[in-house]
Amino acid sequence: MQERERYDVNLFRPRQGYMTGEVAIILAVLLGWGVVNFGFQAVLRLLAETPDGEGIFTRLTFLSFPWHFWFTAQFLPLWFIILCILFNVYIDRHTERHSRRRDRSHD
Amino acid sequence: MTDAGFNLIPLLIVAATLGSFILTGLRARSREMSDYGLGGRYIGRIGGGAAIASNWMSAASFLGMGGLLYLQGYYALAYVIGWTGGYVLLLVLMAGQIRRFGKYTAPDFVGARYDSPAARLISAGISITISVIYCTAQFKGIGMLFAWLFGTDYRSGLLLGGTVAVGYVILSGVLGVARNQQLQYTVLIVSFILPLMALAYKLGYFWVLPQFGYGVAIQDLKREFGVNFAAPFAAGSLFQWVALCFTLMVGTAGLPHVLSRFYVVPNIRDARWSLVWGLFFIALIYWSAPAYAVFARLLEARAGMVPPPVAAEKMADIVVLKTAVLGGLPEWMIGILAAGGTSAAFFTVAGLLITGAASFSHDIYYRLINPRASEATKMALAKGTVVALSALVLLIALHPPGLIAEITAVAFALAGNTIFPAFLLGIWWGRANRHGVIAGMLTGVVVTFATPLFGRFVPAVADIFPLTSSALFGAPLVVAVMIAVSLLTPPPSDEMRRFLADQVHGHME
Repeated sequence: MQERERYDVNLFRPRQGYMTGEVAIILAVLLGWGVVNFGFQAVLRLLAETPDGEGIFTRLTFLSFPWHFWFTAQFLPLWFIILCILFNVYIDRHTERHSRRRDRSHD
Repeated sequence: MTDAGFNLIPLLIVAATLGSFILTGLRARSREMSDYGLGGRYIGRIGGGAAIASNWMSAASFLGMGGLLYLQGYYALAYVIGWTGGYVLLLVLMAGQIRRFGKYTAPDFVGARYDSPAARLISAGISITISVIYCTAQFKGIGMLFAWLFGTDYRSGLLLGGTVAVGYVILSGVLGVARNQQLQYTVLIVSFILPLMALAYKLGYFWVLPQFGYGVAIQDLKREFGVNFAAPFAAGSLFQWVALCFTLMVGTAGLPHVLSRFYVVPNIRDARWSLVWGLFFIALIYWSAPAYAVFARLLEARAGMVPPPVAAEKMADIVVLKTAVLGGLPEWMIGILAAGGTSAAFFTVAGLLITGAASFSHDIYYRLINPRASEATKMALAKGTVVALSALVLLIALHPPGLIAEITAVAFALAGNTIFPAFLLGIWWGRANRHGVIAGMLTGVVVTFATPLFGRFVPAVADIFPLTSSALFGAPLVVAVMIAVSLLTPPPSDEMRRFLADQVHGHME
């Protein structure tokens, strides 16, 4: 049984060592991915004053765009790029910390 | 320039562009690979990103997205978000692990991970179906573009354009044309942005970065003509938006021809970073597509030529081109735009037909029917499959079932409901087994087509699993089925579980 657990792979029960840190980074990025995108659409709906969704966000403007339109059409793709960069930076660091040789040949 | 006649200058530009891809491809083939050399690492990541982006850009991105935004405004931003956000899922959940696993196509991965010819067969069938659906959308784009170029009806445009596209794929294959995806991306981005800059300039908006300067146009549209392009929930509810967006995201992370992109880059670190560049290059186009849609609405309103909804829907898929015509851009610039759209569709068709043919000749015929087949037999079969698949696609595209982006979305839903869960659990849960994946993928197929199959008898099905957006509930359902069936049946071999733990996840220990 001990042996079986040693090679048990489960996203929600990561094994000690490299995988624990890796999974923490993954879950943090996924949280930022889901909350900022789907969360904003939900807030947009909650604060809507008409069936079409008109409300505070559609009245405010940013860079001449209605605020919500700017956020979804322009900021969210940028946000995804930022998330990917953060993920890569943290995984690069994490990998280097765990690499035995630390000579960038680890992957 | 008229809209109905023969558009000679644009036609010549399209022909010249496609021809130049063949010529540069032939030249590149004879050159040495040592061109890469030192400093290739940095160029490699950006170049790899351009390759990812050019592989991704299809008629759906180039034409279809603008069309849907034109019809639906804010609601269609679900496509922009779904098709960019999916790359985050792909990067964080799968990219590195699939690469360490070492199987690069969906049937190969499923077959090896679950050690099951039946699962391989099902995933090969799904890959081929995805190729056919995706290709149908491309053919619709090609048909509309050719109809416009030659001034014919859609049917003639489709037959002509489809024949040229398949001929192009076969000719490139016979001549051994090397694909220069960096060049392809450059052509696509220039041909999309340059006419947009010209349009913004003509309309008097900020033209230097037109993708960020069309905000005033949205406000003008509302103030002058009462058209509210940005109304959040005018074309669909919050649930519909989220379901569509989520479906496109998991579909992106499960699409066979996207998954196999990671393996042309030398190592995992470069593969991860080139994905970021790829996402940036894709976003450059997606930031721009809404601008075309807004300008189209504005130009129509100013000219007093707002088409009735049925007519608008009919021409929405080439609204990008119509906007350039309506905006009075010079013919050569419209030609460049048409050349970009045609290239995007042609290269996607090439990639999809080849993927579909390989699934059939390698994963079905060679692996399951005749393991002793020679390379020559496999090649002949693959070529035959290309022709058969294109004939099938042409037939479906004669009566396109929807808009380009909508048809494409069904392919994404299928990928998100079947291949995505198979990869996700295959990588992240060692206990997932062959019975689970077979049950899961079959459930996914049923869920994807639940609306056309059962929607008439059980109306609730159409609300829960809309055809273009079935994965919001579909993908979690498939994951649940896979977990339940896996737990009720014996675990996969110790060998596979040890391989997952040691090679795929334990490479640092």
